[in-house]
Amino acid sequence: MNDMGPVQTIGVPTPLVDGPEKVTGRAMFAADYCVADSLVGRILRSPVAHAKVKKVDVSKAREIPGVKAVLTGEDCNQTFGVLPIAQNEYPLAKYRVRYRGEPIAAVAAVDVATAQKALDAITFEYEELPAYFTAEEARAEDAIDLHEERPGNIERDVHYDLGDVEDGFAKADLVMEEEYQCAEIAQVQSEPHATYAEYDTQRDKLTVWPSTQVPFYVHLMLERTLEMEKSRIRVIKPQLGGGFGCRTETLNVELICAMLARAAGGRVGLVVSREETFITHRGRPETAVKMKIGMRADGKLLAAQSECVQRGGGYSGYGIVTILYAGSMLYGIYDIEAIKFDGYRVLTNMPPPGAMRGHGTVNMRFAFEDLMDRMATKLGLDPFAVRRANLLKAPTFTFNDLMVNSYGLDECLDWVEEASGWKDRKGKLPPGKGLGMACSHYVSGASKPKHWTGEPHATVNLKVDFDGSVTLLTGAAEIGQGSSTMATQCVAEVLGVDMGRVHTISSDSAITPKDNGSYSSRVTYMVGNAAVDAANNLKNVLTEAAARKLEVPPDQVECLGEVYRAGTQDEGLTFDEVVMEALRDTGTITVKGTFTTLPESQGGKKYRGAAIGGTMAFSYAAQVVEVTVDPDTAEISVDKVWVAHDCGKALNPLSVEGQVQGSVWMGMGQAMTEGTRYHDGLGITGNMLDYRVPTIVESPPIEVKIVEAEDPHGPFGAKEAGEGSLSGFLPALTAAVADAIGVRAADLPLTPDVLLKLMEDKARADKKAAAQDSAEVA
Amino acid sequence: MEYLPNFKTHRPSTAAEAVKFFAESDEPRYLAGGTDLVVNVRRGIETPQTMIDLTGVEEMTGISDAGGGLRIGGATVLREIAESPIVRERYAAVAEAAGEVAGPTHRDYGTLGGNLFLDTRCLYYNQSEWWRASNDYCLKKAGEVCHVAPSGKRCFAAFSGDVAPALLVHEAEVELAGPGGTRRVPLQDIYRNDGLDHLATQPGELLVAVYLPASTAGIPSTYVKSRVRGSIDFPLAGVAVRLQRDGADVSDLVVALTAVNPYPHFVKGMDAHVGKPLDDEALDAIRDTVRTQAKPMQTTTVAPWYRRRVVGALARRLVSKLYEAQG
Amino acid sequence: MSKSMLSLTVNGRTRDDVVPDNMLLVDYLREVVGATGTKVGCDGGECGACTVIVDGKARHACLTLAVSCNGKAVETVESLERNGRMSALQRAFNEKLGAQCGFCTPGMIMASEALLRHTPNPNDDDIRRELAANICRCTGYVKIIESVHAAVAETSAKEAAE
Repeated sequence: MNDMGPVQTIGVPTPLVDGPEKVTGRAMFAADYCVADSLVGRILRSPVAHAKVKKVDVSKAREIPGVKAVLTGEDCNQTFGVLPIAQNEYPLAKYRVRYRGEPIAAVAAVDVATAQKALDAITFEYEELPAYFTAEEARAEDAIDLHEERPGNIERDVHYDLGDVEDGFAKADLVMEEEYQCAEIAQVQSEPHATYAEYDTQRDKLTVWPSTQVPFYVHLMLERTLEMEKSRIRVIKPQLGGGFGCRTETLNVELICAMLARAAGGRVGLVVSREETFITHRGRPETAVKMKIGMRADGKLLAAQSECVQRGGGYSGYGIVTILYAGSMLYGIYDIEAIKFDGYRVLTNMPPPGAMRGHGTVNMRFAFEDLMDRMATKLGLDPFAVRRANLLKAPTFTFNDLMVNSYGLDECLDWVEEASGWKDRKGKLPPGKGLGMACSHYVSGASKPKHWTGEPHATVNLKVDFDGSVTLLTGAAEIGQGSSTMATQCVAEVLGVDMGRVHTISSDSAITPKDNGSYSSRVTYMVGNAAVDAANNLKNVLTEAAARKLEVPPDQVECLGEVYRAGTQDEGLTFDEVVMEALRDTGTITVKGTFTTLPESQGGKKYRGAAIGGTMAFSYAAQVVEVTVDPDTAEISVDKVWVAHDCGKALNPLSVEGQVQGSVWMGMGQAMTEGTRYHDGLGITGNMLDYRVPTIVESPPIEVKIVEAEDPHGPFGAKEAGEGSLSGFLPALTAAVADAIGVRAADLPLTPDVLLKLMEDKARADKKAAAQDSAEVA
Repeated sequence: MEYLPNFKTHRPSTAAEAVKFFAESDEPRYLAGGTDLVVNVRRGIETPQTMIDLTGVEEMTGISDAGGGLRIGGATVLREIAESPIVRERYAAVAEAAGEVAGPTHRDYGTLGGNLFLDTRCLYYNQSEWWRASNDYCLKKAGEVCHVAPSGKRCFAAFSGDVAPALLVHEAEVELAGPGGTRRVPLQDIYRNDGLDHLATQPGELLVAVYLPASTAGIPSTYVKSRVRGSIDFPLAGVAVRLQRDGADVSDLVVALTAVNPYPHFVKGMDAHVGKPLDDEALDAIRDTVRTQAKPMQTTTVAPWYRRRVVGALARRLVSKLYEAQG
Repeated sequence: MSKSMLSLTVNGRTRDDVVPDNMLLVDYLREVVGATGTKVGCDGGECGACTVIVDGKARHACLTLAVSCNGKAVETVESLERNGRMSALQRAFNEKLGAQCGFCTPGMIMASEALLRHTPNPNDDDIRRELAANICRCTGYVKIIESVHAAVAETSAKEAAE
């Protein structure tokens, strides 16, 4: 009996609990629910970017046999939007269209050919308005407003001026300023948007299977836009083919599908194309950043000043939060006080961006780190030394009041420096090869929820019954990141039982507790803590039952997971015996666990919007990127990446590695090959040939070191793992290219044509300088 | 379920039968692998009423010796060509080019004929029906204006097949079967410099086979393409070179290009370098000559000036590589 | 609408179906056969999520007409399990986290299956070359390469033991 102990799950590399379904093809994604006799939904989209809707004539479409429902903006009475202060979008355009491809009508028909015929029969009369495709055009004096309540087409401007910035610049040994331009990025999650909906006419009940990261928000928006009691709606999140943020708000596809199902009185599948998925957008906005930094000769940061302009779309989406993150997250990674920030989120006639992985922080971090690298070169300092001159000391609060309780950046720096052979290799590589490094960080969930209801941030329920299994009920949206596995591990670890005892059911509004969803890396921290809390509550119930049966006080019961005993000589009770005792008199056991953030983590009040950025814990990352640049074609090969990520305690090291590799690699796509292009607001790159997600061929080996600066409040000390190492790739790449060929890039993506231009400009400048030198010598 | 227009599909077993189906059908199209055509049908660019599936035509598949040269059936899949020891040995550029087309899965069922008869490509053309309608279509299909060069009346869509330039440098001929019978012509004769209508074949003509002559077998050759990603992408520019060295002199030099014009073509003026050693000056001259004959337009997201720069740089590199390798 | 008789085997079972001439193989598999493991991730041949094996070779089911598979053998991800046991590739993708969201996985596994039939002992370059038509947005491909190696290692260990 003495060798027996609780089963350890935390910290053990663990395959996903839903992995077998995924590798066998049995996993059910939204499109897989569409059965042969369900109706086919299709959307008609606006050909113009900005217009008054005069008439959408659907009379002919309605007459086509086999057409079961046709809807337009006239059927939409309510707007939707993820932020309560910015709900200005109709599921189908009502009075105005504001971007090319905006839905204007939708049909449900018996088959795809009939649906297409119906779309072809709809006519759209409109009165065109001036359209703005750049932030500059939309901000021009004579530009008309896209939305009345947003004068000057400014969705939100953010300003803060903390500390004495001018004094910092005055005291600095080096002040440098640079302008950066980052292209708009799309998530291109593997699964195009899809929703399946069933409307039960007998009971007036609606069940929806949306491809979403936020089933709870979808539920709220269904209630609002369908003007239906929320108790009559059930939202079940199916398996999700990735999200990376574009599905962290309710999308029109989900609402339109539900509306069609109700109108047709039946079952509708609405599976949109890849092109339509691009049009629905909600990616990372095109961003212009002006960055100015003042640095002491030893690398110490004294002041920074930045202006950020994000090109938003025709609707708000998450825009306000994105521009706030851009400002607030200048803090939180280095020890710096004086920062001035001016941010502008602009409405334009483009598909709306949203909250992409690394929300709001990525392009700002790129600019900041790239400029640090330029300054290090200028000052003759090693880039590692510059970072080390500015480390925070946890626990602390940043100058904009962000709480930092754990900080492993120093350890991250040490590891990537050592692993990459930086000291021996930097500056000594053959021509065309180079090394670059950078750091980054990210929040573990936003401490102040945007839908403030007074509820805990997360709730987990556990059910135990006669069979001795533990059913874990969570609203946390499993989106491929492994949240169900994480929650299962937390519960199994606390109880000390094998994970096989735990059945995890997630994201069904009729069964699982509400959860806000999978975004801003909140799930491990918040849901993990709620799962731990629930498991502890269950363990108490079981321990008390065991104590009753063993006739000892509860504090004398030792829990070994599968056995509860009173002292080492006791044979003890099996888990099943304890459960049967616990069920006596009460029947099925249900317990609950919750998590609520600390008030002091909820950000500051020094400026309007300062709460954004407030989090219970930050993750930290450092990475070194090695590149080879082809001198003739300017093609960059990334030969290797070394990345260290401080995620606190790694609950599942296998998942952490996968998340970090995926983040770094997604940063690589943004830095090198990706970016949307438009022709007068019409997306040119709405396919996976012209929008270039990297293939396996050019994707480098990525060596991951997990750094565990455990957080005092995280579940077992855990923090976020899935976003923080993305942004560091961008500046590490531009630094590596500079090291390789002496060319500094400020515009991303750094495609070969962009780089070749810079190389040729430099060659000309060098030649000119050499000519001047020789002239002077003469 | 994807929307596709209604069409009837025939699956002939001989080329003659295929030609007959073509002549007797409404709006027919030949279909082999479908990697290009089916995409275009899904986008409404092509609206066939009849598909003639060539994958069952036995005489159109396989690689065989033809008097020291080779016959490659038009429906032979690209992987077979890329991995064929005899093609690699005799016509290296052809195997290399076939192995560079799109991605591995495409090469498993995409065919030689499909790559040679690839439609020309442009950002404003390879889009959905909704997209093109919203943009008033374009000169190449249903529209009045070329969005790449709005003032002109020419279509600049780029031919983007990889294999054609490799076959050109080896002086390939193609066997075409059509309503008027069978004919054999040099490969370059089936192309013209017009993005709107780049194929000079007769309606209903089918590429039965490609013939590579014994005369160019074994002459060192190579192919390279520029693209942003390491796979899947069409070429931004592609160069094939055939070069024979005799002592210090170049005794034979042929260069052909793809993806930088509406058709694949030979580079003129390479004879000037034959009978001489190849020095840096000559290599620079080759590079510059190639650049002047490449006229890419904004048909891809990558800047045309880059494609022009890079096509010259790659040509220089390949010529130098083949020359040095024989030193 | 033109329809034709389609006689083929899907995952080892003989089938005879009357299908529209314009039906894509992926729609036939998902909607007629009911094998929804094969996914649609793009508008034609750009992502590889629909990769299946036809007569031993990888193929995009989204660019293939169902009727052109007459007389052929089509294999999808659903075919790989034997007597309820996952194949070595499936186990490796599960255990090594070659699948995160799982949407590209069926296509990725079928492309890997085609690779291993062609090259039973691939090195990193072979894997990169042969999986280069399949886009994964989650993993950065690192653990996909590890998964293929792990499957090969498991198979070789098993063969050595036998």
